[in-house]
Amino acid sequence: MTTTQPDIETVLTRELIVLEEPPAQKEACIEFLLDRAVETDRVTDREAALEALLAREEEATTGVGKGIGIPHAKSDAVSRPTIVFARSEDGIDFDAMDEKPATLLFMLLVPEEGGEEHLQLLSSLSRALMHDDVREQLHEADSKAAIEDTITEAIA
Amino acid sequence: MERTVTVVPEDGLHARPAAKFVETANEYDADVRVAADGDDPVDAASMLAVTSLGVASGDDVTIVAEGEEAEAALDALEELLSTPETEA
Repeated sequence: MTTTQPDIETVLTRELIVLEEPPAQKEACIEFLLDRAVETDRVTDREAALEALLAREEEATTGVGKGIGIPHAKSDAVSRPTIVFARSEDGIDFDAMDEKPATLLFMLLVPEEGGEEHLQLLSSLSRALMHDDVREQLHEADSKAAIEDTITEAIA
Repeated sequence: MERTVTVVPEDGLHARPAAKFVETANEYDADVRVAADGDDPVDAASMLAVTSLGVASGDDVTIVAEGEEAEAALDALEELLSTPETEA
């Protein structure tokens, strides 16, 4: 793969980290995360982005197991690469193969012209999240800054 | 035993092909691992691990299987990765 990966600091800013409990239903949770990207002016067309996200879920769930959900989409409605992060205390049924509810949620949005950027971000994020200590730290982090540091360090 | 396969589906080892790959790896009595070129192999039965490989269409992957049904698992996984995705 030859595309350069965008800097994680520009993809996941503090305003994209949500500490409030997201809705307990998968679809509502996806809308909740998307709203944060819309509010921060990273998504120009909410409906189109939502449609792309739900189409991807329809194809195969983004509940990748180990309590992680990574709903994602590549769309014209997205103006720059974005990750929105939230945690769920109760867990959300993301149809994961290991049947574990998702408690760490990462929404990944990339512009249509992003090429392989999409896969690269997804890959880096997944690789970081395979480490038990990274997942633990994300659960335990008590501030947006701590979450930001953990993700930035784990992906770097 | 191991086998190197070129990934044909347009999505690469991502989305539906990845889900099918992980499901298939889970179906056999074998320990299956998969590696993207030069990287360390990861658990083929884990969606998170397979997603971490970031394998695009046209990339090669090496699948390593051990256990009673290792060969059958390799056959099934090779076929899956060699088949373009049809409209489902």
